[in-house]
Amino acid sequence: MAHDSHEYIPEIAVDRNGNEHVVQGWQGDNYGGKLGFWLFMLTEVMMFGAMFMVLTYYFTLHHADFIKASSELDRTLGGINTVVLLISALTMGLGLLKMRSGDVKGAKLMIWATMLLAVIFLGVKALEWTNDYKEGIFLGLQGLQSGNEFSKPFGEILFFGMYFTMTGLHGFHIIIGIGLMLWLLKRINSGKVTPEHNILHFNIALYWDLVHLIWVFVFPYFYMTGAGAIHG
Amino acid sequence: MANHTTVDYKKERGNYYKVLFGLLALTALTFIQPSMFLTHYTFGMQMLIGTLKAWIILMYYMHLKGEVLIGWTVVFAVFLVLFFFVIVMIDVNNFQFADVSHITSPAQ
Repeated sequence: MAHDSHEYIPEIAVDRNGNEHVVQGWQGDNYGGKLGFWLFMLTEVMMFGAMFMVLTYYFTLHHADFIKASSELDRTLGGINTVVLLISALTMGLGLLKMRSGDVKGAKLMIWATMLLAVIFLGVKALEWTNDYKEGIFLGLQGLQSGNEFSKPFGEILFFGMYFTMTGLHGFHIIIGIGLMLWLLKRINSGKVTPEHNILHFNIALYWDLVHLIWVFVFPYFYMTGAGAIHG
Repeated sequence: MANHTTVDYKKERGNYYKVLFGLLALTALTFIQPSMFLTHYTFGMQMLIGTLKAWIILMYYMHLKGEVLIGWTVVFAVFLVLFFFVIVMIDVNNFQFADVSHITSPAQ
C-alpha cells in the first residue's frame, strides 16, 4: 500500500493456528541497517587496501624514485585538506548528535557545514592538480609517459600514476558524499528522517568517517614519505 | 522499531571536541616528525601515526567502541587485507620474471 508519511505500518504474518505476529520491517531495524552498511564499507576497505598493496609493492621496487616524487607534492595544500576533512568529520558527527537529541534544524545546519567543507576540500584538490598540470605532472602528459625526452624516472611515473588514481578515487567519494548529504537533507525536509528514525543519517555519517579514514592513510603515504632530510 | 536512543547533546559534544583535539595533535605530529624525531624511520612512523588516528576515528567517531559483532567483522576484513598483503609480498619477492618485467626492470 502506497503512503507518503513515514509512519511505520507493520506487516502481519498469521501462523497455522491463526495467531497474528508482527513482521520486523527493515525500516525500523536500526542494528541491521548499521551492520549492512558496515559490510558495504568493508568492501571499500578491501578496494583501497588492494591499491595500497600495489603502492607498497611499487614502493619496495622504486624506493628512491618514490621518495623524490613524494617530495615534489605540495604538503601545504595537502595539509590544509587534512585539517578541512578533520573538521568536516566533526561537523558531521555533531549533526548526527543534534538529530538524535531532537534538534533537527541544528542537524541540517551541520550537514550544510559539512558540505561546504567538502566543497572546500575539492577546491583545494583542484588547485593542487592545476599546479601539478602546470609543472608537467599529470596523467597523459609526456613527463608521466615513458620513452620520451621529458619522461620522469619509471618509479616516479608509477608514483604519480597511483597518486592521481587514489586521490582521484578519494575525490570521487567526496562528490558521492555531497550527493548523499543533499539526499539526506531532502529526506529530513520530507519528514522521512527524524530524531526517532535516524539510521540514514547515522549511515551517511559513517560513510563520511570512512572517507576521512581513507585520507588518514592517503595523505602520509603520498605527501609525507618524501618529507625530511633522511627517509626510512 | 525506531531508534529511541536519546543523547545528552552537551555531554556528547564535549567528547567529540576531545577527539578532534586528539586528532589535530596527531596531525601536527605527522608534520613535525620527519624533521624532529626518528627521521630514519619516516615511513614507518607516518604509518604508525596514521594507524593511531584511524583507531581513534573508528572507536569514537564511527562508534565501534562496545560494538562486538561489527567490531569483529572489521577485524576480520582488515585481517583479510593484511593476509593477502603478506601473500602478495612473499610472491613478488620471488617473482620469477623479475629480470624481464617492465615493472621490475624498466628500460632506462
